[in-house]
Amino acid sequence: MQAVRTVFNRLEEWLMAALLAFMTVLTFVQVVMRYLFNSGWVWSLEATTYAFAALVLVGMSYGVRTRTHIAVDLLTRQLPSVGRRYVDLFAILACLTYALLMLYGSAVLVDRLMTLGNMARDIPAPKWLLTATMPLGFALLTFRFLEAGWQLLRRKDDGRASGEQK
Amino acid sequence: MTAVFLLAALFVFLFVGVPVAVSLGLASVLTMLFFGDQTLLSSSQKFFYTMQVYPLLAVPFFILAGSFMTTGGVARRMVDFANALVGHYRGGLAMAALLASAFFAAVSGSAPATVVAVGSVMIVGMVKSGYTRKFAAGVICNAGTLGILIPPSLVMVVYGAITESSIGKLFIAGILPGIILTFVMMVTVAVIAHQQDMPRQDKASFKTVVKTFREAVWGLMLVVIILGGIYAGVFTPTEAAAVSAVYAFFIAVFVYRDISMKHVPDVLVDACKITVMLMFIIANAFMFAFLLTTEQIPQFASEFIIGMGLPVWGFLLVLNALLLIAGNFMEPTSVILILTPIVFPIAMELGIDPTHLGVLMIINMQIGLVTPPVGLNLFVTASVAELSLEDTIRASFPWLIVLLAVLLLVTFVPWISLVVPNLLLN
Repeated sequence: MQAVRTVFNRLEEWLMAALLAFMTVLTFVQVVMRYLFNSGWVWSLEATTYAFAALVLVGMSYGVRTRTHIAVDLLTRQLPSVGRRYVDLFAILACLTYALLMLYGSAVLVDRLMTLGNMARDIPAPKWLLTATMPLGFALLTFRFLEAGWQLLRRKDDGRASGEQK
Repeated sequence: MTAVFLLAALFVFLFVGVPVAVSLGLASVLTMLFFGDQTLLSSSQKFFYTMQVYPLLAVPFFILAGSFMTTGGVARRMVDFANALVGHYRGGLAMAALLASAFFAAVSGSAPATVVAVGSVMIVGMVKSGYTRKFAAGVICNAGTLGILIPPSLVMVVYGAITESSIGKLFIAGILPGIILTFVMMVTVAVIAHQQDMPRQDKASFKTVVKTFREAVWGLMLVVIILGGIYAGVFTPTEAAAVSAVYAFFIAVFVYRDISMKHVPDVLVDACKITVMLMFIIANAFMFAFLLTTEQIPQFASEFIIGMGLPVWGFLLVLNALLLIAGNFMEPTSVILILTPIVFPIAMELGIDPTHLGVLMIINMQIGLVTPPVGLNLFVTASVAELSLEDTIRASFPWLIVLLAVLLLVTFVPWISLVVPNLLLN
């Protein structure tokens, strides 16, 4: 189980790094081609934006795991530990509500796109497929919040699963 | 009613420790479900659409460029060059720290990154030469705020994207206020140095100045590429950002050789972390702004304020106060994202230039970065300088006077923000 986790965590990082590298190089090459060869690929911009979306959507849950999301912990820090536990539980519930609502919304969006059957503007792929990163991302986010809530209930750590103020 | 619920929900979520991004998103989605006539589908669409807003593509690219620059020895070379230039004055090392921060701000779009880059090189050196650790921390903490004023600036990219105003113009508008602030801070150091008889160094020979310049020039070229490219119309700010990232990679790996190819993936992952953290906030803030607009909240706020018959200077004073308070509790991007949709229409109604408004908001955010309880620069400085947070706050506090003075100057003399862009772009 632990091994699967480690592999999955590394995979997450590699995927994000690859997406960022892809976006950067593609945009750079586009500038070079425009000036040197007076040409370019029409699909470049669209590919970049979908890669960008995938990066952010995959990264959201990664941010929960690595605790990089910024939160204001000014008030909760002052609370006694019992009160803080309840407040933290409320915060996690809020996060879960958010993730589930967005998961539902994005699933409906992808379903609608499937029904419409539109193709992307320049990339030869159906629009729903490129947008499917969104329900996927929010499903992962839901999972990470559940995990954080579970850890909080079991008191494995101090429960600031939602991230530290840096 | 809708507005009250939206804002109340937002603040409750923020203060119980829900991440800023989720607070913005959840408050918007709940308000929409209870009061609005939009659906979850349209909010999701708005969220996804954020990553297709062309100017925002500059965010990951500038962050990546900054990561290569911060990890590599770019800051050290800039410090050497700055030191060769001003090190021989009384308090020279402190001045060099200021100048190096300004140089680094010209390759990085982030204030905390500037503190880390310059501070980790400079603070030890200043303490060794006889400055107190607190004085060094105070200088670095405040000089680091130049990161978001001197172009490129991530906060400017966000402001430009949300108001649909020109990011290139904002970048160019940041130059003069940035130089003025650097200069005022250097004069302040000179005055303090004379009073307290601070150390000076031997004057660097002209040869040393040239040598350190040639070392540092690779880094400094970046801002020339960005501004020159945008100004000459060679590329858009987004393309400039991508070119910067590739350039920074090339410099760090092949010219300075501070980073080996093996470590490039680590730098990428690092940049991804910051990108996602920011974009998650921005995408939710776009849903928030979308809701504000469909519920016509900015119009009501605008009519209310205009109805009060506030003169422009009065509005600007109130705006500064509002921004300073908000800046105390949240980091710059969040403040800009939440408040801009509300104050921007009012400012336009009053005939304030969007570029001037942007620069003014940025300087407010700089002050927010160095004031407790949530001053990002304070936290970063405390860890870089190995000081307690309380000591860092105390060390940084006197500098507030300087920042506030420059803020008032820029607020009431729009000329400072507008003269350079008007000269270059018209």
